[in-house]
Amino acid sequence: MSSEHNGRRPYLPPFRRDWWLQLRFYRLYMLREATVLPLLFFVGCLIYGLYSLGQGPAQWQLWLDFMAQPWVFVLNLLTLAASLFHAKTFFELFPRVMPLAPPRLMIAGQWLGTVVVAIGLIVLLGGYL
Amino acid sequence: MTQTIVIARYNPELDEKPHQETYQVQSDDNTSVLDALQQVQQQDPSFSFRWSCRMAICGSCGVMVNGVPKLGCQTFLRDYPVGLVITPLSNFAVEKDLIVNMEPFLEHLSAIKPWLINTAEGTQPHVQTPKQLAKYQQFANCINCGLCYSACPQFGLNPEFRGPAALALAHRYNLDSRDQGKAQRMPELNAKNGVWTCTFVGFCSEVCPKKVDPAAAINQGKVESAKDMIVSAFKPTGAR
Ligand code: SF4
Ligand code: FES
Repeated sequence: MSSEHNGRRPYLPPFRRDWWLQLRFYRLYMLREATVLPLLFFVGCLIYGLYSLGQGPAQWQLWLDFMAQPWVFVLNLLTLAASLFHAKTFFELFPRVMPLAPPRLMIAGQWLGTVVVAIGLIVLLGGYL
Repeated sequence: MTQTIVIARYNPELDEKPHQETYQVQSDDNTSVLDALQQVQQQDPSFSFRWSCRMAICGSCGVMVNGVPKLGCQTFLRDYPVGLVITPLSNFAVEKDLIVNMEPFLEHLSAIKPWLINTAEGTQPHVQTPKQLAKYQQFANCINCGLCYSACPQFGLNPEFRGPAALALAHRYNLDSRDQGKAQRMPELNAKNGVWTCTFVGFCSEVCPKKVDPAAAINQGKVESAKDMIVSAFKPTGAR
């Protein structure tokens, strides 16, 4: 029976393009997704650095100078903050996807792992920082 | 005391699209949104909404309260001192006032074969240990209210997405020791509108009145789906 004959005229509201602005929960989700943007910049820096390393000392110095510029430093600081925020959300979601142990234990374990790996890398790379 | 509430009204025989109207209701500490809607219906008998159990069991009284999906019978006016705007569940077509067409939701539910599939013959009971029950129990608490579909932007963008409750239910049966239907359900999970459409926004789990955590179920389903796809990639063709 067609809807004209039974008085039905269902109204489907259009899906809002700005749905993610409507609730705080959605805004935080979008922030989590957006953390990839500063990360892209950092990956660019890293590739540039690897390239410079292969080109000899002069180019390497150029890269070091580039990295020392205030705006690059600030952007990379932002990347660090974004990555830590992403890590926090990820570490909290992970125990729900793979419930291997009590969530709090898993979250603490992941942070411990992060700290250990970070310290290990800093030591390995000659104690910068 | 008297409280003002705003309600979306839509009469398919008269209105081009829904509009909002303001009503006065009497409320005290125990007044639920559902109570308020019933008062409004006494003022205007043409006002339509769904309800049945009044105790968060039947799942029929879902509405949006200030943009968040809620069970009307489990939501109280006292928690909204600045006022309430009550609209029909998002991402569904409105039939009249607060009543939406749940048909797409029901189709998604049945698509994942939400029943025990078991080829065992005879009439012996299926024995299950408490440990085996615990594996899926949380995902079996769903009351099919559909709140999670209104919370899901992926379902809003793509109504073909099987969605939170259906995929959680698929996971529930796949985890059930009495069930042998996993192989039949996996194609549905692996498919374009299956688990991989989910981006873990996670609001479904936030609004679920029964703490089912459908987002966790879907993402556990992704692990199963990945395993299933890897295994089938190494199987000789025709073995499935
Ligand atoms: S998973 Fe929760 S929100 Fe979704 S239909 Fe079931 S009870 Fe309702
Ligand atoms: S009336 Fe049954 S869940 Fe609210």
